[in-house]
Amino acid sequence: MTRSAVLVRDVHKSFGDVEVLKGIDLAVPQGSTTCLLGPSGSGKSTLLRCMAFLEETTSGTIEINGQPLGFAETGDGRRTRLPAGDIRKVRSRIGMVFQQFNLWPHMTALGNVTEALVTVRGMKRKEANAKGEAQLARVGLGDRGHHYPSELSGGQQQRVAIARALALEPDILLFDEPTSSLDPELTGEVLNVMRELAGGGMTMVVVTHEIGFAASVGDKIVFLDQGKLLLDGPPSEIFGAPRHPRLQQFLETYLDRGAATLV
Amino acid sequence: MSMRLFELMLWAAGNTILLSAISILIGFVIGLMVCAAKVSANPFLRIPGTLYVSLFRGVPLLVQLLLIYNLLPAVGIMVPSVVAAVIGLSLCTAAYQAENLRGGFQSVPRGLLEAADMVGMSPWKQLVRIRAPIAFRLTLPALVNEAILILKASSLVSVVGVIELTRMAQNLSASSFRPLLFYSVAGAMYLVICWAVAGGGSIAERMLRTGSRA
Amino acid sequence: MTLDFGLIVQNLPEILAAFWMTIWIWIVSNILAVAFGFAVATLRRYGPGWLGLLLRLFVEVIRGTPFLVQLFLLYFGGPFIGLSLDPIPAGLLGMTVYATAYYSEIFRAGYNAVPVGHVEAAECVGLTRGQIIRRILVPEMTMLVLPQCVNMAILMMKETAILSIITVPELTLVVGAIGSQQYAFVEAMFLLALFYWFLVEVSGFLGRIAEARLSKFRFAHS
Repeated sequence: MTRSAVLVRDVHKSFGDVEVLKGIDLAVPQGSTTCLLGPSGSGKSTLLRCMAFLEETTSGTIEINGQPLGFAETGDGRRTRLPAGDIRKVRSRIGMVFQQFNLWPHMTALGNVTEALVTVRGMKRKEANAKGEAQLARVGLGDRGHHYPSELSGGQQQRVAIARALALEPDILLFDEPTSSLDPELTGEVLNVMRELAGGGMTMVVVTHEIGFAASVGDKIVFLDQGKLLLDGPPSEIFGAPRHPRLQQFLETYLDRGAATLV
Repeated sequence: MSMRLFELMLWAAGNTILLSAISILIGFVIGLMVCAAKVSANPFLRIPGTLYVSLFRGVPLLVQLLLIYNLLPAVGIMVPSVVAAVIGLSLCTAAYQAENLRGGFQSVPRGLLEAADMVGMSPWKQLVRIRAPIAFRLTLPALVNEAILILKASSLVSVVGVIELTRMAQNLSASSFRPLLFYSVAGAMYLVICWAVAGGGSIAERMLRTGSRA
Repeated sequence: MTLDFGLIVQNLPEILAAFWMTIWIWIVSNILAVAFGFAVATLRRYGPGWLGLLLRLFVEVIRGTPFLVQLFLLYFGGPFIGLSLDPIPAGLLGMTVYATAYYSEIFRAGYNAVPVGHVEAAECVGLTRGQIIRRILVPEMTMLVLPQCVNMAILMMKETAILSIITVPELTLVVGAIGSQQYAFVEAMFLLALFYWFLVEVSGFLGRIAEARLSKFRFAHS
């Protein structure tokens, strides 16, 4: 049995008095694509952000490739915060793609992709540029390196964001609703890149509303509802009959988008 | 500082408030007219309106005040210095308020006017019922800001001899040789007035927002 | 009343010196104030809490009181606490302190206007806090705040006229004095007004050009 790429154990997360995650356990196998589904407010984005350490869990542990992320258990059931250097090291195995792309507007596409190679990894500018060009080519934007984000379409921007994450050669890529702020006709190009990555054996965790993508590409579907993990299994099992009533209800809200016919 | 001197300072602060309030009001009326002229399709209105805004915003207020204070008697108009001061402050703030109003009117979403059009409102009705109320709400923060600017700028009328807060502090400093004390007290009074206006402004904004939700 | 341009020609050297004084104080105080203003905004954001509170108080007090009162306090009150300054250094110092407060507010808003996601993206690829400030926040903020900085610099150009009240020999003081001597104060002031107007319009024009050149960095996404 292979080690889990991400292992989430009994994670709780509260914002003030509101408990958003109520004890999540989840294992993401290496080389698999895991899709997190759920109605808005179910906690799926928060869970993903916890995996990227953009949010700190209130309790519980998350392991990346067997290494604790952010906090380590001390044995007596309590936990301590790890030194910043350790956090940075574990985090460097993770790449993140955001809903709003979050490209830095004052840098070209190539500049966005190579920034961390130069400033974090200490790579030579020339070497970084070569690598950046290669990553841009990989997402089909080899000719767009010198464009600024404002000169690119939404789909192109999101592909640059994916190239930026790929350039650091992460073991795990996290996607937070990568197509939700795109016009419908632009989602295809982004989903295709993701499909290719999945085919190439990249470990991915994807928060998405693209049910069709989840069903066809996902190795594992996780359905969250009200901060709890309700379902966890292969798509055939999750989407096949008999469906869980909450999932059925969730899918029906997508009926008008034709999603139900896709699964 | 004796009670008597403190009362003098308070009285002068009252003058500052009065002077500023009158100037803001007159400036609002002139500003509305300048704004209307500036957005007019008629070049005989638009060009003077644009020039007015550019000139009064491009020249230091102190220079404007000195000019008006000395120009009026030169052309045979004898008015007390306080009137010259109010004229100067009003003309200046009018240029800024005209720009604020223009921004407010332009920020009214097109769709709201199209909706008014579709329910059959006349252009005049649209202006009175839709455009103006929304534009005023959008302009309110800028108006409060302008009021605070004028309160502070009114200190400049001390140079033409109007006894307001700054001039009073100047006179009392000169006669008592205690500039630290009197200018600090004057500064504190300006601070209190400005904070009060800012606080009042945010209360008004909140009330208007509640009104819009209803 | 006639406009007497001879007035300018006769006193050209004095007027030029005064013009230089205005420009010099304006530029030096604004450069210093941009640097200090940035430092104030950065310390308020990243410094210890007590310092942030203190700086906030400084900014509120400066922004809540007239520049003239601040100048009087510095120039006339200073000697009582051992700070005797000549008009020019007092004017330069007063102007710098005053402008620092305003610029710091621009930078504070600039910091806040950079979308949180841009910082998160930088964290995710492993940039340190220092690198995030230097490489992401500052350049992004610069293009966001440039228009306001240009506006502020123009406002400050007009504020330099107030320095005449504490007898800094800048344009307003010198032109006013020449006008009084020649019994042509109104004409002199009128020419002065036109001159300031010209200066402000030219600065605004140059500022807009600078902005246009940076426009391709504008936000790709709201």
